[in-house]
Amino acid sequence: MNLSVGLTTSASIEKMKSVADRADSLGLYGVWLGEDIGRPQEIFTATSLILLRTRKAKVGIGVASPLIRNVTTIARAATALSEISPDRFRLGLGIGGIQDLASMGIRIEKPVDLMRKTITTLRAIWENQGQSIDDEELRLSSYRPRFNGSGDIPIFIGARGPKLLALAAVIADGVILSGPRRYVQESIKMIKEKRVSSKLNKSNFSFVLWVPTAVLRDSSDLGLVKQTVAVVAVDTPDTVLRQADVSRDEVELVRSAISRYGLKEAAKSVSDNLVGQFCMSGDAESICETFRGYSSLGVDEVVFGPPYGIDSQHAISEVAKAWRRA
Amino acid sequence: MMFGISLNVNDPVSETLAKGMSAERLGLDYVWAADLPSQRYAPVVAAVVASATHEIRVGLGLISPFLHTPQQIASSLTTLAESYGSRFDVCIGPGDRDELLRVGVDLDAVRGISQHVLNARREIHKLLKERGLECRIWLGAQGPAILRIAPAFDGVLLNYSSPTMLRWALEVIRAAKDGIPNLLGVFAPSYVYGDFDPNIHRMLQFASATVALGTSDYVLRRFSLLESLQPARKELLCRTFDSSILRLVPPDIIEKFGIFKSHDELSAYVDELKRLGIEHVVFSHPQGHSIETIKELATALRQIGA
Repeated sequence: MNLSVGLTTSASIEKMKSVADRADSLGLYGVWLGEDIGRPQEIFTATSLILLRTRKAKVGIGVASPLIRNVTTIARAATALSEISPDRFRLGLGIGGIQDLASMGIRIEKPVDLMRKTITTLRAIWENQGQSIDDEELRLSSYRPRFNGSGDIPIFIGARGPKLLALAAVIADGVILSGPRRYVQESIKMIKEKRVSSKLNKSNFSFVLWVPTAVLRDSSDLGLVKQTVAVVAVDTPDTVLRQADVSRDEVELVRSAISRYGLKEAAKSVSDNLVGQFCMSGDAESICETFRGYSSLGVDEVVFGPPYGIDSQHAISEVAKAWRRA
Repeated sequence: MMFGISLNVNDPVSETLAKGMSAERLGLDYVWAADLPSQRYAPVVAAVVASATHEIRVGLGLISPFLHTPQQIASSLTTLAESYGSRFDVCIGPGDRDELLRVGVDLDAVRGISQHVLNARREIHKLLKERGLECRIWLGAQGPAILRIAPAFDGVLLNYSSPTMLRWALEVIRAAKDGIPNLLGVFAPSYVYGDFDPNIHRMLQFASATVALGTSDYVLRRFSLLESLQPARKELLCRTFDSSILRLVPPDIIEKFGIFKSHDELSAYVDELKRLGIEHVVFSHPQGHSIETIKELATALRQIGA
């Protein structure tokens, strides 16, 4: 199993540079950059920054949403990114945060159909040899890309619902999971079964697990963890909560507190149970031990995601070192 | 005068990078990366060039606010400026009508294109200001409706080369009575040469004819060009642009949209632009076809003391 680090477009450029500059020397397998919709940094441009500042680490987008951009923009950006360093770029697609999309007035209709169509079209664009591409749903008409794309950009789907997971099993090169352990276990099992029933090779598929993680110095650091948990928990679909046996009422309490008092205050209503379900915390050694525990479930790559800890650089460094020691 | 080159975003990123570095080394003031739906994503290309250069200004555009939201454009600029310093410009405008239609953006169905572009400019400016970033916002313009909003921008890049057409465009901007932008420029297909290469000239003909064929009826009629372009336009409805269609475009029309000058001829043309008050020239495809063509331009610019 491999250890990678995760960032989002909410991070400052200084933090992105700092993580990218140390990724290779810390021996990290990869850097994933997630799109927090509506934040100042742009996902594709920021990914290019990380690619340009690393030499060995895989660099992935985990994830960008096709709901907020033209499919050709994703194709064009991914082509340019893969050319910066062939074989290191990975493209993750996902519907996007429920709350973020709602705030933009975007309704999620038929997400599975959209994702299937998007991935099929992306590959058609990348493999294109001068033919025109038409797709009524995506509103492409006689579209002719004027770049020789790379047909082998690995596509990952960031998914939580069962239908999208099933789609990922048959159409993607991997899946990016996040959520409580029990949910992760069930999801991996379901995807593996789906691949077997679809007569697909089991080994040609990667399971990536994004875990909000915090290295704690003492209990006073828990406030930071709880803020992250509050955001993640309220963005988790009910299907996942049910599967993981997480109380919906508990999450509703947090949701209501966020809308009434804001995130900082709402974090106080996050229970220890929710923290345990949605975030990994402790010292670097125990975090790595828990990460390794996912290997038995079939996880190939675990992503150490924000909030990291009070001193994020130190926390990333500590976890990377602890990972190498074991 | 400031001179720039528009990089060909059809090229693989490594080639564009090499050309961007050459442009800086050869003393050009700008490189521009245009964002067309059929080409590589310009903000990523701009980032690659910026990562390996130090002083040359990097222009993003033309980029269409009908394909990308103002928030997305502002975010690209934010990431670029925070990563590589305050040397980025952006040029927005409606964009290539035909290319946009192929990806589902029908400009003919949009009411108030100029207002939309103006609103995009305001939104981008507001977001950048909130983030404490300095970035010049240019307008890419051709027709009268778009020209009239030019005073709201830091600069305007006019998409033709003929001094007569440029003079008319400046009159339209002045007639709007909102003043004129601080920066006036030309952005046109170009081939400035020392050793003439017929292949590059052919590319120039294609590039200039493409601009001409995409120009609004109003502008073409204003310069009595519409009728003679109709045969080529009709053929374009049935098939893609090829040599047989190019033959239907009168050479004198092509000349109005492209800059085709020998080293010796460039000086007089630049002087004419200066007299019009135009201080910026962006030499677009095929001038950026190769490092050699960029060198030819740089040599010509050195000869005129630029």
